[in-house]
Amino acid sequence: MYNLTSRRAAGALAVAGAATLLLAACSSSSGSSSSSSAASPAGSAAASSAAAPSAGASGSPAAAGASCPSGTTIAFVMGAEADPFFKAMKVGADAEAQAKGVTLVWQGDPSVYSPATQIPIVDKVLATKPSGLVLIPTDPSALQPANDQAVAAGIPVVNVDTHVNDQSKVTSWITGDNNDGGAKAADALATAIGYQSGKSYQVVVGLTSPTATTNTARLAGFKAQLAAKYPGIKIMDVAYSQSQPSVANTNVSNWLTKYPNLNGIFAIDGTNATGAAAALQAKGLTGKVALVGYDAYPQNVALIKSGVFTALIAQDPAQEAKLAIDDLTQVICGKSTAGIQKAVTIPNVVLDKTTSAADLQKYTYVQ
Amino acid sequence: MAASAPAAHPKTASRLRELVSNQTFVLFLVWIAMVVFFTAANHIFFSSDVAGNILADWGPLMLVATAETFVIISGGIDLSVGAITGLSGVVAAFAMQDMTTAGQGATLTLIVGLLVCIGVGLLVGLINSLLINYARLVPFIATLVTLGAGEGLSIVFTGGAPIGGGPPQAISLSVPWLGPFSTPVLVVVAITIVCWLYLHKAKFGRYTYAFGSNSFATRAAGISTKKQITKIYMLSGLLSGLAGMFFYLRLGSGAPTTGAGLELDAIAAVVIGGAALSGGVGRLSGTIMGALILTTVTSGLIIIGVAPNWKQVVVAVLIALAVSIQALRRGEGKAS
Amino acid sequence: MTDALYEVRNISKNYGAVTALDNVSMKVRAGEIVGLVGDNGAGKSTLVKCLSGVHQPSSGEILLDGQERHWRSPHDAIQAGIETLYQESGLAPQLSVGANVFLGREEMKPGILGKLGFLAQKSMDARAHADLERVGIAVPSSNRSIAQLSGGQRQAVAIGRAVAWASKIIILDEPTNHLGARQAGEVLHVMRAARDQGLGVIFISHTLPHVLEVTDRIVVLRLGRVVKDAPTSTFDQESLLGTITGLIAD
Repeated sequence: MYNLTSRRAAGALAVAGAATLLLAACSSSSGSSSSSSAASPAGSAAASSAAAPSAGASGSPAAAGASCPSGTTIAFVMGAEADPFFKAMKVGADAEAQAKGVTLVWQGDPSVYSPATQIPIVDKVLATKPSGLVLIPTDPSALQPANDQAVAAGIPVVNVDTHVNDQSKVTSWITGDNNDGGAKAADALATAIGYQSGKSYQVVVGLTSPTATTNTARLAGFKAQLAAKYPGIKIMDVAYSQSQPSVANTNVSNWLTKYPNLNGIFAIDGTNATGAAAALQAKGLTGKVALVGYDAYPQNVALIKSGVFTALIAQDPAQEAKLAIDDLTQVICGKSTAGIQKAVTIPNVVLDKTTSAADLQKYTYVQ
Repeated sequence: MAASAPAAHPKTASRLRELVSNQTFVLFLVWIAMVVFFTAANHIFFSSDVAGNILADWGPLMLVATAETFVIISGGIDLSVGAITGLSGVVAAFAMQDMTTAGQGATLTLIVGLLVCIGVGLLVGLINSLLINYARLVPFIATLVTLGAGEGLSIVFTGGAPIGGGPPQAISLSVPWLGPFSTPVLVVVAITIVCWLYLHKAKFGRYTYAFGSNSFATRAAGISTKKQITKIYMLSGLLSGLAGMFFYLRLGSGAPTTGAGLELDAIAAVVIGGAALSGGVGRLSGTIMGALILTTVTSGLIIIGVAPNWKQVVVAVLIALAVSIQALRRGEGKAS
Repeated sequence: MTDALYEVRNISKNYGAVTALDNVSMKVRAGEIVGLVGDNGAGKSTLVKCLSGVHQPSSGEILLDGQERHWRSPHDAIQAGIETLYQESGLAPQLSVGANVFLGREEMKPGILGKLGFLAQKSMDARAHADLERVGIAVPSSNRSIAQLSGGQRQAVAIGRAVAWASKIIILDEPTNHLGARQAGEVLHVMRAARDQGLGVIFISHTLPHVLEVTDRIVVLRLGRVVKDAPTSTFDQESLLGTITGLIAD
């Protein structure tokens, strides 16, 4: 009952499968080159006048004595509550709010980072008439009206991490410098592989998505630093993990096979770091291939000691929150904007074997 | 009413014809073609190392695809397999972290982790079957509910970050030692064989096919379809939980995002393998090849340096062709 | 009167406000073919489902061998020796002939393998073939799937399965639908053979000539009630049709 038709169809399946592969192969070059021309983020040029990473204690000029009346409330609307990055930020915000004697109202969607869920939250928060607002806009355009509405109601606003398009009405924008983090990763990688000019080295980069702004900023900083200081280091491949460590693991496992002389890996965020670390351990290449990761998840921080990670680049969300609270209390209670800068970038921190235990603990993201 | 048996063909000719019309064999040829293509593009592809990489991806996919094979043959669908994989891995990771912190031995800790994965899987599978049997939700909706709840719980429990701190020996268990085969992969092979026997040779599989083929006839034959549904979805949960443990051993941690979208890969493997979403049709051997093809494409594209996003395109083409072959055959079946 | 093998007394079945069966009584004796006829919506299918254990009547009694029985599921009825051939196909098209004949009554492998749930497929295939032949049905090899058979062959397998397993009662819901004259004739022949074996046969059909040809007694349903229950010899095609449609007074 199975005649020629099904046989022909079977053949077609084989041919078409192979044809698709060919098609994929042909367009590969265009695919990978496009990512290299990713626009360098506007933030990279921003004044980085911020305190040094160790400046946690020094604080901002606002510390100068403005005491707040009881009932002063600062609303903090962030992106997604479940993200360890924001959890770490909350620790900093809580501590500083307590120090300044203000009430902190911490709000945000439990898990979704989206303007659709954030806008109603901002509206609800504004209805309670807080004294000040810290806003992490999940979209620069979509949150502009809510942002301006707050200012119009006499509520001062500070943007943290991300910002709205028109910052003329915003008291300050405080963010981590991802571009600088990428450059630091390049330095750490070059040091780990013992870079000598004139020699050539191979590295790969694991990304999460082609559009995430933190990813593109870190990659741009990484590439710029390689071009400026380490021209012998060549990026052989990049791939995307879609936030899944197992996908990152597959990518890195195959790269380790494909490039037997691979010198280093830059894992651009926490999930890529986790996947790459497991691949190195499974292939027995710990210490033989340098691995610079990003984000101080506790389990990755633990792997610095065992040498799986050459270095981890960490952001300092607690410090960002602290500065934001300081600025707002100064404006609300001190009635002054003196010394407050419109844009502050806090450099990322390098964690490696030389980092003290206390600092490791300080920068490890809270879970 | 009586029909004479088909006239006897020369044995070899009919055997050849059977082979060519056999979806698994066709897929085997496709797979060989892929291996040849990737090897031609980069000779390093044809290595035990790459085979190990492919099998490391194949293992967990095969577990959930096996689960999905049973479910789809029964005429249902299980969208929660990926969420179960993630959730079980996360819950087990917490248990193993606690035990390791408390100074328990690695072997005991890993066994407990395995049992936790199995337990979480069985529990979610049981919930799925209760939703289908008693809340009268269709499987698509019932498992969509547990998919959402499972993924949500994983993120809530972990705060979005991978949970490590378990026995450091975990990853070393995932290192291939028998050629490209690691211990977890060998376990998956063994589980696949047992599942093949139960699907094709045992009463459990017979009822699974019967239910997907004609649920009314199955009930009318005195078979408890509620019991069968409960067994099928709990098996699906169990296998998905094992996939969670597989990923844990591979990553040395349980990540909440692990398994996200895995249900789609599993369904793709099953459909490419020749099963029909309408139920009653499918072979586990087809699913084995479907899963192998998907994971071979993944590694192959990385090795030859093509953006892995092309995998989706290749998979889409394979699904379209697999389904149209099925439709062609059905047409022939009616005509003959 | 006496020796009713299978009997329902005053059964009613309501679906919400709708009364599908209203105080229906009927019986079938061993070695008797009873025709059950009625227009669409008369309640034939509902009655069949009550008789076969798919539905439970809202009220009334079901008696087998004079004993009151309550079917909680088709399984109970099957266990008691009542086989039903449904109008909606009672076969799983993707399964083989042998698998269908043995569906729900699988034969297990001997020893430990059987305990582990493995099937004795070869033995079932052989027995299915023999059973179908015994009741006068020849089908191609037992390991073919039902989907590969013609409509007549499928119906033959379904009937053969019911006859082969029935120990007391066999209920056939529209078994001659969509069959050619020759194939329908064979179905009627199988029914007679079943009666001659001492089974009670309930034959539901729209095809009045078939009913008149093969049955011993005819029960006419209209709007959920039994409007006539009389020996077949008292009907001709016209009077039967008139009773069904209500043109002839009850």
